[in-house]
Amino acid sequence: MAELKLDANAFAPIHQEQEIQSISRPSLSYWQDAWIRLKANRRALISLYLIIGLLIFTFLGPVVWQVDPAQQDVDQISQPPFADRTVTLVTEYEPWYGEGAVAGEGLRFVEDPTTQYIRLVWDELPGAAGGYRVYRNLFPIGPERAYGLPLIETEPGKRFFEDRLDLQPTTYYYSIVALDAAGYETESVETISGDVTRVITPSEARGRGLLAEGENAAVGTQFRLATHPLGTDYLGRDMLARLMHGARVSLFIGFFAPLLFVLIGVIYGSIAGFVGGVGDQVLMRFADFVVALPFLLFMILFKVVFAIGPGESGIMPMLLAMVILLWPATARLVRGQILQIREEGYISASRLLGAKTNYLVLRHMIPNTMGVILVTITFAVPSAIFTEAFLSFIGMGVAPPTPSWGSMCNEGIKTMLTTPHELIFPALFISVTVLAFNLLGDGLRDALDARMRGRE
Amino acid sequence: MSNTNIVADTDESFAKSAGKQLLIFALAAIVLVGSLMWGLQVLASMVGSSTEAAKAVDTEAQSITIAIREEPPQLNSALATDASSGFILGHVMEGLLRMSMDDQLEPAIAHSWEVTETHATFWLRDNAKWSDGEPITAQDFIFSWRTALLPENASEYAFLLYPIKNARAINEGSMSPDELGLSAPDDLTLVVELERPVAFFDKMVTFQTYLPIREDFYNATEGRFGADSWELLYSGPFMITSWVHGSSLLLERNPYYWDNERIHLNRINIGYITSDAGATLNFFKDDKIAYTTLLAENLTNALEQRWHIQREQDGTVFFIEFNHREGRVTENLNLRKAMQLVMDMEELVYKVTKLPGYIPGESLFPGWLQGVNDKFRKEYPAPQLRLNREKALEHLELAKQELGVDEIPEIVLLSGDNPISNIQSEWVQAVLKTELGIDLKIDKQIFKQRLAKMTAGDFDLVLAGWGPDYDDPLTFGDLFASWNLNNRGRYASDEMDVLIARAQESVDPRERMEAFAAIQQLAFDDVVLLPMYERGVTFVVHDQLKDVKRRVIGPEIDFTNAYVVDEDS
Repeated sequence: MAELKLDANAFAPIHQEQEIQSISRPSLSYWQDAWIRLKANRRALISLYLIIGLLIFTFLGPVVWQVDPAQQDVDQISQPPFADRTVTLVTEYEPWYGEGAVAGEGLRFVEDPTTQYIRLVWDELPGAAGGYRVYRNLFPIGPERAYGLPLIETEPGKRFFEDRLDLQPTTYYYSIVALDAAGYETESVETISGDVTRVITPSEARGRGLLAEGENAAVGTQFRLATHPLGTDYLGRDMLARLMHGARVSLFIGFFAPLLFVLIGVIYGSIAGFVGGVGDQVLMRFADFVVALPFLLFMILFKVVFAIGPGESGIMPMLLAMVILLWPATARLVRGQILQIREEGYISASRLLGAKTNYLVLRHMIPNTMGVILVTITFAVPSAIFTEAFLSFIGMGVAPPTPSWGSMCNEGIKTMLTTPHELIFPALFISVTVLAFNLLGDGLRDALDARMRGRE
Repeated sequence: MSNTNIVADTDESFAKSAGKQLLIFALAAIVLVGSLMWGLQVLASMVGSSTEAAKAVDTEAQSITIAIREEPPQLNSALATDASSGFILGHVMEGLLRMSMDDQLEPAIAHSWEVTETHATFWLRDNAKWSDGEPITAQDFIFSWRTALLPENASEYAFLLYPIKNARAINEGSMSPDELGLSAPDDLTLVVELERPVAFFDKMVTFQTYLPIREDFYNATEGRFGADSWELLYSGPFMITSWVHGSSLLLERNPYYWDNERIHLNRINIGYITSDAGATLNFFKDDKIAYTTLLAENLTNALEQRWHIQREQDGTVFFIEFNHREGRVTENLNLRKAMQLVMDMEELVYKVTKLPGYIPGESLFPGWLQGVNDKFRKEYPAPQLRLNREKALEHLELAKQELGVDEIPEIVLLSGDNPISNIQSEWVQAVLKTELGIDLKIDKQIFKQRLAKMTAGDFDLVLAGWGPDYDDPLTFGDLFASWNLNNRGRYASDEMDVLIARAQESVDPRERMEAFAAIQQLAFDDVVLLPMYERGVTFVVHDQLKDVKRRVIGPEIDFTNAYVVDEDS
């Protein structure tokens, strides 16, 4: 037997082999992986930025743009964005009774037309036994002889008129029509047109803060009225401020309602799925019953029950109706997931290792349904925003003067043809928000799907 | 590693394809929505052409379609009070007399009449018939008027019959209905005994409460008279041939109407019942109705459509009333004069209220009232006010001396609780403060509360309105009689009372109108009130429809004389 010679080296630890197979990159958790895949989805990413921008707009916007959304600017009613805001100072109003001769013939202006007053004088028209009727139009008089809005009838001897009715800085076409003795219109008509300049009196300028108290300025001084970047609505309220404040209502409903009803749905669905059997049957049949209840009817019923009259805010009944009626969809989804997960091998293994029910639900089941839940929420948000907008549009949502995008659309649609910006802006915000949430939800669904993990 | 490159590559291409996808979806959506709208329009036009309701006017058939705001609750003329009932009744019924196109009295079922200080006599024509062919007799009027006065029927307009002898006592239940001062010497003569001289009794009988009702038919309906088209008997140019509750009414020519030659329209189709002004505007735009009123927000649209907009007063006058009671500062004439001289009602109407159709007030008597031959205000123009601040301040100084104060104490303006009243009272507040330095407190109240405060005299100024009860200047003229309970400010002047008594008792039109003119002047000189404005309405009528008449009293719009012309004429 050969002698075994051992030296100290023999007891040195064996050289550790370099691992052939190694994880070259750090291990990724579920969420990290989801985030990477979401980032790769540009559509979803842009939507996410849009939503973040919207949140900034809503919550930081009013801090930057400190304009009261209920403040009425009577000088700028239904003004589109970037409208001319210059205004010229004139003297205070003095009553006029047609005195002073005015050179010229026929129907003519006494002075250049301004928003303070437009004074007209005219010469006698043939056949004006019954006096004259004065019309004003915003459009040229065509062959239809539609003279526009009748302002007044004057006596035959009274051949002057001062128009002060709601004057706007635009072009007006005035017509005077001679009336016969019986008061019917004759063919003898005269028409004149003039561009109206926007003016302001010193007292009004002081009221608007354009002139300091006690300060005077020469007649003809030009001022600039308050800025309204997105124009004003039919009461002269700032559209930008209203959109910012309106977003609060929309986003409040949009986030709060889905959070609440998804939470209810998750709890309800996991109980049903976990219990299974008869209990599951009973719970899910009740959910089916709730699905069958009509939302709008409940909304109206809640309004009645809470004694909320017309002109009062219907936000709380709206929230309540949503929470009470919209949870079954989530409950069904979660129940299905739980049922599936319950039968998985790792659950059985965990149970064999002695896991308690609580541990099973919290460690295995809820995290595995999280993706589904998140996706449900992101899809529920736009639908809730849309519901709010719709209900406010039909007048069942917020009470004036509180703005909401839906109620702003409702107000804007009345003047859709003449001042479209009042409808377009809130409608645009609703559309973009709803689209952004939907696209984000779409991206999240892809990103959170565990089966797509590691795939491009 | 190449992995990152792949990611970047696909990222870019992904974004591209995503953008492309979005574009395709957007295009597809636009095409789909467009074709859907077109399809629906085609479908709607196919369905629409099969119904008669679709056309505003029809020259061939002389038929028109209109919309009304509300469905009449019932059409028993003795009980009707609302505007819708008044409109329908004005077309399907006719009384003793009617108003012509130029607001003059015209014989209707009575061919002649006479009003004296004690009696009114009407001679009925023998060819006037009910829609079942039976003749209309004096008994039908007696029955109807008595029915309206029966206390158990609680007709709200029964007070309009009070000029008839004993009518008030019967209505209050203290006298038997048989004692009503009506008699019919024969079937075609109706004699009315008057409680007191009422010069305009002939005008009053044009009102709906004075329409006839036939007793046997009324009793046969067993309390449902006027509830449906077959539970009514018609005396007017049209009859209701179809009444679909909540949806539509169809009025067609009454073959038994005595004056059928006057009527051109064969059919008035009330195709829509809606109070939504936007909806009626769209119906008018789509050529589905022949008449609609316009609201301020629809005006630009109407101008753009090049419609022929018309304007008419609705009859109501609004004014600032002073409290003339003892101890109130507004009792002082100089203070009232000062206020009169600074309040520019044109500014109020044109700059503050800003509603089209309204005209600044000049007089207690609105412009539509009839005088002797022409409009009252044309015959007796209102005194012209010239605003003058210096003069106003002089009056204010005098007022302060007379009242023995250095400053006028804060005065109270009682006002309604609605947006229009709000801006108006704020305007009054601003004017009095800047022009006269008077402090004004606004007391906003709901209608009932305001009325209670007005009656109690708990105000200095009040924003008030007055609508006419009948077509005579007296409905406004007696407002400030010392005995009139509607004289909320308790204005009392012997001169005014004498003038009102003369207007009430006289039956000579000239003398009465002189009295009203004097009342108008006195109200101005004594600053009994400050007229603010006459409320108006703007409306459009289809270009092919002629001779449509808007009225202040009776049906607010009258199509009985209307006719449809060809498009090109």
